[in-house]
Amino acid sequence: MTQYIVRRVLIMFPVAFLVTVFLFVLIRQTPGDPVLVRLGEEATPENRAALRHELGLDRPVAVQYVKWLGRVLRGDFGRSIRNNQPVLDALAERLPKTLELGLVAFAYSVGIAIPLGTLGALFRRGPIGLAASAFTFAGVSMPNFFLGTLLILFLSVKLGWLPPGQYVPFSEDPLDNLRRLIMPAITLGTAGAAVNMRLIRSSLLDVIVQDYIRTARAKGLPERLVFFRHALRNALIPVVTIVGIQVGALWEGAFVTETIFAWPGVGRLTINSISGRDYPVVQAVVLIAAFSFMLSSLLVDLAYAWLDPRISYVKRRG
Amino acid sequence: MDSRRVWTMLLPLALLLTMVACGGGERQGARATAGPGGAGAAATATAGAVQTGEKPVRGGTLFIGLAADISNLDPLRSNLFVDRLVQYNMYDSLVSINEKLEIQPALAESWDTSDPKAVVFRLRRGVKFHDGTEFNAEAVRWNIQRILDDKTSPRNSELASVAGVEVVDPYTVKLNLKEPFAPLFSLLVDRAGMIVSPAAVQRAGADYTRNPVGGGTGPFRFVEWKKDERIVLERNPDYWRKDKDGNPLPYLDRVVFRPIPNEETRLANLRTGEIDVSDGAPAKDVEAIKKNPDLIYRAIPAFARDGIWLNAAIEPFNNKALRQAVAYAINREEILKTIFFDIGVVATGPVAPPHLGFDPSFKGIQYDPAKAKEKLAEGGRPNGFSFKLGITAGSPQTQLYGELLKDQLAKVGIQVELVQQEFNKLVSDTQNGNFQASLIGWSGRIDPDGDMFAHFTCTGNFNYGKYCNPEADKALQEGRSTFDVEKRKAAYQRANRIIADDVPYIFIRNTVATQVSTAKVRNYLLMPDQIMRFHEVWKRSS
Repeated sequence: MTQYIVRRVLIMFPVAFLVTVFLFVLIRQTPGDPVLVRLGEEATPENRAALRHELGLDRPVAVQYVKWLGRVLRGDFGRSIRNNQPVLDALAERLPKTLELGLVAFAYSVGIAIPLGTLGALFRRGPIGLAASAFTFAGVSMPNFFLGTLLILFLSVKLGWLPPGQYVPFSEDPLDNLRRLIMPAITLGTAGAAVNMRLIRSSLLDVIVQDYIRTARAKGLPERLVFFRHALRNALIPVVTIVGIQVGALWEGAFVTETIFAWPGVGRLTINSISGRDYPVVQAVVLIAAFSFMLSSLLVDLAYAWLDPRISYVKRRG
Repeated sequence: MDSRRVWTMLLPLALLLTMVACGGGERQGARATAGPGGAGAAATATAGAVQTGEKPVRGGTLFIGLAADISNLDPLRSNLFVDRLVQYNMYDSLVSINEKLEIQPALAESWDTSDPKAVVFRLRRGVKFHDGTEFNAEAVRWNIQRILDDKTSPRNSELASVAGVEVVDPYTVKLNLKEPFAPLFSLLVDRAGMIVSPAAVQRAGADYTRNPVGGGTGPFRFVEWKKDERIVLERNPDYWRKDKDGNPLPYLDRVVFRPIPNEETRLANLRTGEIDVSDGAPAKDVEAIKKNPDLIYRAIPAFARDGIWLNAAIEPFNNKALRQAVAYAINREEILKTIFFDIGVVATGPVAPPHLGFDPSFKGIQYDPAKAKEKLAEGGRPNGFSFKLGITAGSPQTQLYGELLKDQLAKVGIQVELVQQEFNKLVSDTQNGNFQASLIGWSGRIDPDGDMFAHFTCTGNFNYGKYCNPEADKALQEGRSTFDVEKRKAAYQRANRIIADDVPYIFIRNTVATQVSTAKVRNYLLMPDQIMRFHEVWKRSS
């Protein structure tokens, strides 16, 4: 098992390497020039050349890449073109805020999906099932920016229950921090919750008619045990896969949600650095995103083994 | 390892990055603007603060919602408009402006331009930087020299007219000019003229721009900047300006800027009182804000413009009559009402309403379909012609704008083919002369020279359409090379008429500067440059 994990972790590096090559070239192909962004249109050609040289952008892309990679391997991600901040500092400032938002949104999306999906499967023909389906439909089809704006207009402006966005650090005022987290987390988590719910519902419906469920019932197991130990556990396997992929969706959702709710996380850093063509920051953000995808995919595979004893990553002898 | 899955997961991210990258483009202090933008209103209010006769109250914290996070607080590096909203409250410049855009004393008490190739500034005494060091001629020399020495600074080109700087005595400093250059003063109002404490910069080094502790002389001192979250300034108890009754300024204890990029969210924060002042408001909500007794909306004419570049170097617009035909065929009132919610004013020429040399009696070329047809005949195309109009992709408002222009021109027989382009591509194509017509605005400058010289002189850097009229060149050259205000005014009036008639650019709309705040905010000075200045603002408690 340990060997398997080590192998998986090691293989992340070549994949990340490919991602960085891809990105390094891609971002330099997009129209727009960091030198122009920083100097404005009125700069003379002499000014532009001077800044281009200072930033090392006058060298061939391959040379820039090798230099960058060499520094990154030594743990130096360089400084922001935009405001000279060390890239690692910029990330360290934002990452906890995005993680806080992402984790709460994730917990909400899974936490609400399992009971709702179960109810939807158990009472699929009654009003409860219908309500659950309605939630799914609305959740999947509503874009983040729309849901977010709707929540602000309704819960903040109309009812005055929650503050409309802005971040307050947990260390300054824990309660206010959490209050301000509610709407962004709902916005970020709802689409995922809806997808999960639908999946749990259909997966449960599949499992419930399987032979082993009939066997379990025939053994005389109480319905509660049949459901939790046999049905739900097996129904969750496909869900885990989707949930793993949703970590990616959370990153994407963070771009929009953080902008709507003025949440100072990695999403906004990314948007600012892309529009400012702040190459060093973009490269670091994408590298981190890539690692988080791969890590979540590893966790998904490990969770399989736990959920389904038939799946094992340990080589059997004989 | 199932690497296929990793790629499946990364693909959406890559796509998203591409999308964001293509939609990018920050609002900048100095750059072309992407067609429609910014809120304002039919300009009825006058500049300056609303005088109510209330007695100002000391204390309190003012919360301001910004449209974006700032990028740099060191004036040497700053490149975004939003930076200036914070900087003007931390730093003083050598000179400032009043509501009429006339140059006023600030850190410089007076100046002498009797030698046209030098400006001698006599400085205010007894001013201290926030770090306790003294403001004097040596500090000014150090700041100007720092800009002259740094080729990678956006300020470097702004001071291109300055040959050198010398200390005459501890409170007198002299800028030697390469040639007489009157617009220098308007540049010294802004970041090129902001004086930073040399000691503070030397102490902080490369971090100064993000942590400018003790660096200014302005009404508020820098406390902290948490990226994308807040910028906090506190009252400078030793500020040199006093109010008209001799009381110390500023009145506020603190100002807190909060970047809230989504304009709907910003308005919600204003409505719920989480912020007191908002950097702009959604155009569609302006009417509702005006009707709300808890909110204040004011607008005054500003200098940004919307319009169309015509390429005078190639067919069909190398023909002046055809350029004029297009200008006569465009109904600016209709555009203002339907596309801009009546926010802004109809433009009449390159000189904007607040500028030196603006002539309210001059109407330029306005909507007149009969005249348009005459000009088509004069230009040898009585049955009309067709051209390609480049517009910025991705904004529904800009698309509507383009469609409306197309309809208006079709009425006189001119066929428009709309070409939607990503903003950076549209700008670079236009800069390279690879266009017939481009819908690109301009953010505007305090001095008319900044909106005209580079754009409309034969060899100007921003003269994208290669327009060339020696008469316009002469007037614009005259406008920048004399310090005599009356002579400058006459020169810009002349240049304005020539350029409006030659139509290298179709002037459609000028914007307005706005105040969007709660009614608690008192004595807020609204200026055409849209910069927030809080040194005289106070906050009513209820």
